[in-house]
Amino acid sequence: MTEQETPADEIKIVTFTLGARHFGIDMRSLIEIREWSEPTPLPSVPGYILGVTNLRGTVVPVVGLAERLGWTPSTIHARSCVLVVNIAGKQAGFLVDEVDDIVAIQESAIQPAPDVELQEVNVISGLVQITARARDGSEPKPQMVLLLDLDALAITRHLDMAA
Amino acid sequence: MSDDMDDIQAIFFEECAEGLAAAEQGLSAMQAGDVSPATIAAVFRAVHSIKGGAGAFGHVALTAFAHKFENLLDEVRAERIAPTPPTVGVMLSALDILSDHVAASQGSATTPDDAASLAAIQAVLNGEAGTVPASPPSLSPSPAPVAPVEAAQPADADPFGFEPVSVAVDDFDLGAIMAPAEQDAEAEPVGEPDWRVEFGPSREAMAGGSEPMLVIRELEDLGGRVVAVDCSSLPALRDVEPEDAYLRWTIQLPGWTREDSIQEAFDFVAPDSHIAIARFETERTPATTASEEPRGGDARALIGQIEAAAPGIAAAAQAAETRVTDSASQTIRVDLHKLDNLLNLVGELVIRNSILSDRLSAKDQERVELPELARLTREIQDNVMSLRAQPIKQAFSRVPRMLRDLMAETGKQVTLQTFGETTEVDKGVIEKIGDPLTHLIRNAVDHGLESPEERLRAGKSAEGTIRLSAEQKGARIIVTVADDGRGIDRARVRAKAIEKGIIPADAALSDEEIDQLICAPGFSTAATISNISGRGVGMDVVRSNVEALGGRVEISSTPGKGTSFTLVLPLTLAILDGMVVRLAGQRFVLPLATVVEAIRPEPGQVSATTPDNEVIEIRGEYLPVRRLTEVFGLHANEDRPVHESLVIIVESESAGRVGLLVDTIDDRREVVIKSLEQNLHPIRGLGGATILGDGSIALILDVEALVASAASHNRNLMRGLAA
Repeated sequence: MTEQETPADEIKIVTFTLGARHFGIDMRSLIEIREWSEPTPLPSVPGYILGVTNLRGTVVPVVGLAERLGWTPSTIHARSCVLVVNIAGKQAGFLVDEVDDIVAIQESAIQPAPDVELQEVNVISGLVQITARARDGSEPKPQMVLLLDLDALAITRHLDMAA
Repeated sequence: MSDDMDDIQAIFFEECAEGLAAAEQGLSAMQAGDVSPATIAAVFRAVHSIKGGAGAFGHVALTAFAHKFENLLDEVRAERIAPTPPTVGVMLSALDILSDHVAASQGSATTPDDAASLAAIQAVLNGEAGTVPASPPSLSPSPAPVAPVEAAQPADADPFGFEPVSVAVDDFDLGAIMAPAEQDAEAEPVGEPDWRVEFGPSREAMAGGSEPMLVIRELEDLGGRVVAVDCSSLPALRDVEPEDAYLRWTIQLPGWTREDSIQEAFDFVAPDSHIAIARFETERTPATTASEEPRGGDARALIGQIEAAAPGIAAAAQAAETRVTDSASQTIRVDLHKLDNLLNLVGELVIRNSILSDRLSAKDQERVELPELARLTREIQDNVMSLRAQPIKQAFSRVPRMLRDLMAETGKQVTLQTFGETTEVDKGVIEKIGDPLTHLIRNAVDHGLESPEERLRAGKSAEGTIRLSAEQKGARIIVTVADDGRGIDRARVRAKAIEKGIIPADAALSDEEIDQLICAPGFSTAATISNISGRGVGMDVVRSNVEALGGRVEISSTPGKGTSFTLVLPLTLAILDGMVVRLAGQRFVLPLATVVEAIRPEPGQVSATTPDNEVIEIRGEYLPVRRLTEVFGLHANEDRPVHESLVIIVESESAGRVGLLVDTIDDRREVVIKSLEQNLHPIRGLGGATILGDGSIALILDVEALVASAASHNRNLMRGLAA
C-alpha cells in the first residue's frame, strides 16, 4: 500500500523471463508466485488458457503467457512458475519461464512502446531499462524490460463465451 | 465519502425492503384476522424504522408519508382505533404507497401520489376514534378514549365533552416524554385547557426587522413548546426570498398562562402576522401531543418530533416486546462475502480432512482421532451452510401485494393460501426465485383463474384460490403455485404451438408434453391465450430462470379443476450431490439429481443412426447418446469400444432422457460448487467446478446444456424448446 507512494514517481515491478525476453508487471497487481502444477484442462477455450487451478479454494484460470503473446509455448522446467495476478478484480495465473527480481523503476523512465506488431493494441505498455544483477556474479549490465499491460491481457476481454 | 454514503443508503434500502416485507406480512395477518398486539406492534416497528431511516437520509416525502402512516398504526396499537377490516384495508393501501415512496427515494420510480391514501388515513383517524370497543383483555387497561388529534384544533375546544384527565396515563412513560418545563405544568391542577398558539410572521414583520426566534423564545420562557411547524408554503429553494417568511409555528402553552402575557410576546410582529391564540382540549397523553401531525414535510420539525416521541415509542415498543419475547430470535447482519469466505475455508478444511484420510492407514486414523475430526468438520460445514439459509417467507412476502394489484387490474377475486413459509433455503436461491414466482402468480391470475361470473357458472365459488407452498424434500426444495382455475386448454395450446412452428402438425404428444409447451420460447401466453395483453408473461423465462438455478419446472393441470406449477430447486447453490465420472482420464462431476440410471452397454446395444448420431436401446426404447469426450474435444480414447464405457441416462427438461457416454464412474459425493465465472467466464456445458479431496479441480457438467445441443443435433421433436 505504501510503496506506491514513496517517492511519488517510483513503482515496483516484478521481472521475469519468457524465453530470452525480459518482462515486467506492476507489483501492485501481483497476488503471489506459485510453483508450477498441472492445471485442470478446460474444454472449449482458446489454447493459451491452460486450464484452471485451485488457489486456496478459488478456481483460477492459468494462462500460457508466451502463447498468449504469440511466442512459442513455454516448456515446463524446474524454474517454471505461475504469477497469480489481479486484473480488474479477477484473478488469473500466468505461466512464465523464470521470475528474476523485484526492481524499483521511475515512472518517468518508462518509454512508450513502439508500435509493436501484435494483433491487438497495447499489450506492451512501455519499455524500461534496468540494471540487472547477473546470477553468475559478473558485472551488472543494462537490460530491456517489456512492461505488460495487464488490463489488455484480461482473459475475458478476448473471449466470446457464447461461442 | 459519497461511496460511504451510498453504502449506508444501500443498507437503509435493504432494511426498507425487510421492513416492507415485515409490514406486508403483519398486515396480511391482520387482514386474515390476527389482530394480536404482537402483530400490530411488528407492523408499527417496521414502518417506524423506515420512517426513522428516511428522515436521516432526507427523503422528505417518504418520511412525511411514513409518519402519517405511523400515526395511524400508533393509534391502532394503543387500541384507540380498532383494527377493523376497513381500517386494515386503508393500512394495506398505505403500505402500497409507502413501498412506492421507498422505490421513489431509491430512484427507481416516480414519487407516488399519496393524497388519496393520506386522506383515507385521516378519515380513519378522525372517524374511528372514540368508537373503539372495550380493549381485549390481553392488554393492560388502555387509557380512556381520547379525542383524535386532528379534532383537537384550537377552534373547537372539547368537542367530545370529555373531562380533561391527566392522571390515568400509567401506560405512558410520561417522565421520558415531558419537556422539563411541562412537568411543572403537569403538576399544576388542571383547571383550564392548554393554549395553542399559531404564529406565522408576515413579510412586513420580517422586513421590519422582527425576529421570530425571539418571539418563540419568549413563549418558551412562558412554558411554551413548539409542537409543529407548518412549512407547506415553503417554495422550492430557487424561489426562496431570503427576506420573506414562509414558516408557521404551532406553540403549545400550559393552560394557566395568562393570555395577555402571550399577547405581549407578539407585540413586535403584530398586527400583520398570523397570530391565533386559542385554548384547546388538553390531550391526555403527551405521546399523542408529540406525534402531532405537522402540516408539511419539514425534516427538522419531523426530527424534532421523532426525538420527542422516541422515548415514548421505544418504551411502548419495549412493552410490546416483553409481551412477545418468544416471537423473534436475535439476528446479526453479516456481509455475504464473509459467509462465502467462511464457506470456502470450511470447504478447504473438508478437503484437507479427506487428504489426511487418504494418506493415513486405518490404524493411524484411529490414533489421531481422524473420524472424530471428520465428523466435526462436517458439522461445521453444515452449520456454515445453514448460515446462508433463510426462510422462504422473504420470497413469498411480495406476493400478497402483487395479488392485490392483480385483483384490481383483472377484477378477479383471489384468496391466497401459503404453506411452509418457514422452509429454509439458501439466500442465493431465495433471491433468484423472486422473478419466476412473480411470473407464476401473474400467470395463475391472468390465465389460470376465471372471472367471478365464469366461476359461478362453473359451479365454483366466485373467489379463486391460489395456493403457494414450499417444502423441503431431501436436498431439494419444492415450491408450488397452484390455482383452482380452468386448467390448461390443451387443444388450444397445441394449436398455438403448431401455428408457431414449435411442433409439427402431426406430432403425437402426451398431455404432459402439451402442458410443457407453454414453457417453450416464443410461446408467449400473454399475447396469445390471455385477454390481458402487453405484459409479456413468458413462461419460458420462468423455466430458464429455474434451470439456471439447477432446478426444473413441473406442470400438472386438470381441465376445469386448476393448474399447478412445481419448481423443484436445489436447497443450496453452494453444494451439489454429484457423481464423479472420468472422461479421457479427467474427472468431471455429474449432478446426481439428473441421473436416472447407469448402464454398461452390451455389444450392439448402442448403434449409430447417422455417422454423427448414436442411440442406445433400453427395454425397447431408443434414447440418443452423446459421447462427452467428443463434446468436449477430449480425443484421447476415440477407438475405445462403446461396451467398455458406461452410458449414464440423464433426465433433462429440454430433451427428455438422453444417454451420456463416460469412461468410468469414480465416486459419488457432495461437492462444493465453485464458479468459473468468478475469474474466467461461463463455459458452455460446464456448470462450474469443484475441488476434490486431493486438492485438484473437477469440472461440473451442465446436463441441460449438454443434452440441449444433443437435442438439436438429433433434430429432436422438442427442438424449439431447447433453443
